[in-house]
Amino acid sequence: MITLNELQHDALVEIFNIGVGQAAASMSGIVNEEVTMSVPSISFLNRAEAAQLLGGKNKLDQLQRICGVSQHYEGAFQTEAILMFPEDKSLEIVRLMVGESVPLAELTEMEQEAMSEIGNIILNSCVGTLANLFQRELQGSLPVYHVGTSEEILSASGSASDSVVLMLHIDFILEMHQIHGYVAFILDVSALHDLKEQINLYLDKVMGQG
Amino acid sequence: MESPQTVLIVDDSRVSRLMARQYILGMHADWIIEEASTGEDALEKVKTFTPKLVLMDVNMPGMGGLAAAEQMRKLLPTAHISLLTANVQTATRNRATELGIGFMEKPITEARIAQLIAPLEARP
Repeated sequence: MITLNELQHDALVEIFNIGVGQAAASMSGIVNEEVTMSVPSISFLNRAEAAQLLGGKNKLDQLQRICGVSQHYEGAFQTEAILMFPEDKSLEIVRLMVGESVPLAELTEMEQEAMSEIGNIILNSCVGTLANLFQRELQGSLPVYHVGTSEEILSASGSASDSVVLMLHIDFILEMHQIHGYVAFILDVSALHDLKEQINLYLDKVMGQG
Repeated sequence: MESPQTVLIVDDSRVSRLMARQYILGMHADWIIEEASTGEDALEKVKTFTPKLVLMDVNMPGMGGLAAAEQMRKLLPTAHISLLTANVQTATRNRATELGIGFMEKPITEARIAQLIAPLEARP
């Protein structure tokens, strides 16, 4: 198991905080309203536990259908980034994005594709900010759209069920429309090793400036 | 009378193409807008359509927007070409500068589109 000392943990949260701040700004630009985001929480979990955390504490929440957009990134480190919303809110989000002029039938037809684009913008704005902070490049795959329970979404994103992953989990809320979503980053142990190295380089740079 | 301006929107996302088109037509209803969903499709399109402005996504299936923009820069040396992308990385911005093209980050908003079409308004 790779462990992070207090300083590395602090830097990791701070770096993701900056990335998430940028993602919140992008989300706000898409829906034209204020978006609030939580401080990232970091946990070492297996996939089932990760699904439980994302799905909420009670059984009913865990069975809720979620739409998820995932993208795989590689380069300085590898990660699977996933944006998740309750499925019953996705049409409302797409409506906020494109405005009132598009007829409902057309809106419904483009819902899946629009959600993929929203995921693409939000995930890239967060990951791109991380890459810039690390002064490295991260190459992303095209966004993939899934609908299912939180466990099904995590399975579809490719993480093995028993492998331990680091999950960075951020909640965000569109206050006016009471829409609650999540962004999660899943890293396996070797990816975490690479991320830790990037954090150390970042800390060296920051300390060097101090 | 001034002839209408021509714009090519290259993006694999239909909703992004729709939004860019809506914002441009909202400001200039007579402009001629063509769309392409891949870099390959865009290069094919410019054989018969000469855009004054090309808005190019980066992360698309096939050759991708950077390779397409590089070829398009040679085919259309006087056109305004700009990336319009979710990829906000410095590396991508630097590549745009190297290619002699612009860079604008997504999401697509009216203000960003207004900024992208400004060169065409200044020089009809």
